[in-house]
Amino acid sequence: MTSVRIFFIGGLMSFRALFNWMNPWIFVPTTLLGPITQILLFAYVGRAAGVGDDEFFIIGNALNYAAIPGMFAMTFTIGGERFAQTLGLVLVSPARRIPLFLGRALPVIVNGWGTAMIGIVSGVWLLDAHIPAGSWPLVCLVVAVGCMATAGIGLVMGAVNLVYRDGATLGNVVFLVLLIFTGTNVALDDLPHWMAAIGRFLPLSHAIEASRMVADGASWGAVQGLVGRELLIGVVYVAVGLVAIRWFEHLSRTGATLDRI
Amino acid sequence: MSRLRQLWVCYRLQLKVMMFSPFEGFLQVFFPLMFATAALLVYRVNNDPDAMLFAGIGAAAMGIFTSQTTTAATLVQRERRAGTLELVLAAPTPFAFVVLPSTFAMATLGLYSVVAVILWDWWLFDLPLQVENWPGFVLSILMATFTIALFGFLLSVTVVRYRTAWALGSALEYPGWLLCGFVVPLSFLPGWALPLSWALAPTWGVAAMRASAAGESPWFDLAVCLGVGLAYAVLAAWLGVRLIDSARRNATLALT
Amino acid sequence: MSATGGTAAVEARDLRRTFKTKQGSVLRPTRTTVEAVKGVSFEIAPGELFGLLGPNGAGKTTTIKMLITLLIPTSGSATVLGHDVVTDVREVRRRIGYVFGGDRGLYERLSGLDNLRYFSELYGVAPRDQKARIGSLLELVGLTGREGERVEGYSRGMRQRLHIARGLLHDPDVLFLDEPSIGIDPVGARELRATIAGLREQGKTVLLTTHYMFEADELCDRIAVIRAGEIVAEGTPAELKRLVTSGRVLEVETYGVAGEVVDSVRDVAGVRTVAVEDRGPLQVLVVGSEPDTEVTQSVLARMGDTRVGRVSHRDPSLEDAYVELVTGAGA
Repeated sequence: MTSVRIFFIGGLMSFRALFNWMNPWIFVPTTLLGPITQILLFAYVGRAAGVGDDEFFIIGNALNYAAIPGMFAMTFTIGGERFAQTLGLVLVSPARRIPLFLGRALPVIVNGWGTAMIGIVSGVWLLDAHIPAGSWPLVCLVVAVGCMATAGIGLVMGAVNLVYRDGATLGNVVFLVLLIFTGTNVALDDLPHWMAAIGRFLPLSHAIEASRMVADGASWGAVQGLVGRELLIGVVYVAVGLVAIRWFEHLSRTGATLDRI
Repeated sequence: MSRLRQLWVCYRLQLKVMMFSPFEGFLQVFFPLMFATAALLVYRVNNDPDAMLFAGIGAAAMGIFTSQTTTAATLVQRERRAGTLELVLAAPTPFAFVVLPSTFAMATLGLYSVVAVILWDWWLFDLPLQVENWPGFVLSILMATFTIALFGFLLSVTVVRYRTAWALGSALEYPGWLLCGFVVPLSFLPGWALPLSWALAPTWGVAAMRASAAGESPWFDLAVCLGVGLAYAVLAAWLGVRLIDSARRNATLALT
Repeated sequence: MSATGGTAAVEARDLRRTFKTKQGSVLRPTRTTVEAVKGVSFEIAPGELFGLLGPNGAGKTTTIKMLITLLIPTSGSATVLGHDVVTDVREVRRRIGYVFGGDRGLYERLSGLDNLRYFSELYGVAPRDQKARIGSLLELVGLTGREGERVEGYSRGMRQRLHIARGLLHDPDVLFLDEPSIGIDPVGARELRATIAGLREQGKTVLLTTHYMFEADELCDRIAVIRAGEIVAEGTPAELKRLVTSGRVLEVETYGVAGEVVDSVRDVAGVRTVAVEDRGPLQVLVVGSEPDTEVTQSVLARMGDTRVGRVSHRDPSLEDAYVELVTGAGA
């Protein structure tokens, strides 16, 4: 029971405490304008280059942009506490680590999913693309799996942030890596081979591919393999993140890097 | 004369502040570089050499725009956070002449990113730059950089009263890349967007770069680019006086 | 010292300043108007060191910011060396220096020297004079030899001294020092006081705000006490001491004193002020009395069950005057 409580209430509360600076003046540009303009940018690049269709870029970029709240929120719920000097307080509490940090992930996943869906819906509307009505529930589900996987990589970055202080730069770099390697704008098959090979081990690659298929009318049976692989990648990143947190926590206790800002 | 010296010394010292952390400069260059790469990867699928050259030149200029949007909007905020905003405002030098060297320092980083993207394109995409008129090409890059610094000047003065301006700044980045025609020809954009494109100085700067590369005359584009840039400067100087007056009236200078 | 003949270096007339603040959620903000300065008037003669003394939030900084042109007064007017602070902004800025306390207001990533260079340019210090000027200021504030280091490595005291050097770059006639000694260790604060005293000897006009009594007592020619946006007293330190409590001050050490006891002491005939100060484990009752009255016995009689330690008498200090003024007792 206690673990469940730490998971839900603790997660939500720390999310809100650390994000109280979020006001509409920040929220609208980052959560609405950001994904929409990125979608438009690459949709027009695609049109000019004569590659893909609008829907291809809408889905790729909406999911890619969802990685921003997914990773940054996760990094900052951990790294941000370091700035507020509260991380030490949280870590010395006897609360179990796994529900503690996974609890932080839940609102992050919801946030990322919301951002992605806003991007897809507005992109479809603005560019006059078409996704069959029957495909939407499956799109929602696949996108959610993708967001979970990005929260997983966010957890790893949050852990790195325990020992490496420039979390924001790191987050940007990972975001850009995802932009290039996960087939956001070019299908994995069309990427140089070494890029595609890396992409297959990153979160989002399979979710983007599956979402595109679903949006084109594919059934669950056709994409379940891809979704399963995305889920597996997400779980691996979560596991790596949790182990890394434990390890870095140990390191920072011996090296006293925790509250160095 | 002493004004020129003031601008030069402030420019040098602000550049020193900005070059302090290798990571800040790194991201300023790396971010547009990766977006340029993503755009070129899309063009690479069909591998039309003309389209690749078009996008290659435009991609090089993306960093110029980035150098201002993300940082210019936060310029005032950074001074405010450091507690220096009130001090520079209390000095007799008009605020415009304090901001201007800072935006030029940022634009210098943008210039660096141009070179980085050109070299990167060459290495990754095997896309060597074919330029007929090198002096014109270099002049066009410098003009684009100069006028974008004036755009940054306008931007940073405009947001002096708003503390969440940094979010606005980063939201301007993608639309700017699109509207300036860096990687998408303007003819693909909807008609209502064209006046916005024309009002952005880098649009003309990058057009001049392409004209020079193709061996055509860049002079008309360069002249318009300069004209638009100077219009930014005049507008910023005018707005600056009014907005700072309003900040003095509304006590928003010291907001943290 | 007072403004004799000639123009005052600084003159404030009925300065007022209100702030509108917005609080609460974005959807349902509540707007409140706060009157930070409510009609402040004073004059500072050329060469005078004038202190503005008051608790936090009394309006000291707001008053200074109006005088240095950073805030426009809601009403009232002020001049610095005869120039209006609202309309004649550049002339005012050219002639004044502004230094505030704390460790902000410097470019951390630049060296101390570069910080001074930067502001030299903004203040239009002639290039040929800059080097000598900066050198002599570094000497004055004792930073010679450290000027090449980045400010981020400076201690608080060093930052504060660099601030003073920055404020003096253009050799201003009038200097505004807003709580310059805040957060500095005692040795640094003593050096700072020596520096400020040196400025007065050079003939600078100085407006100093502080809430350290001894600092004001030691340095200022005249002091204005500001409370809740209004000046409640003005005069030389000696005049202020006389103004409020001519009688002696009784101090009673206790190990915790109840509120009712304090209230009942206040009712003793001849008692003008009662304040409680914490000193380590002790709570000291500081009782100011009317001139030529003896209240010790009556005060002790009211202590009831309170455990009382040492009882002593002393002459009133500026601090007593200040406490009396800002708590509004006897007014």
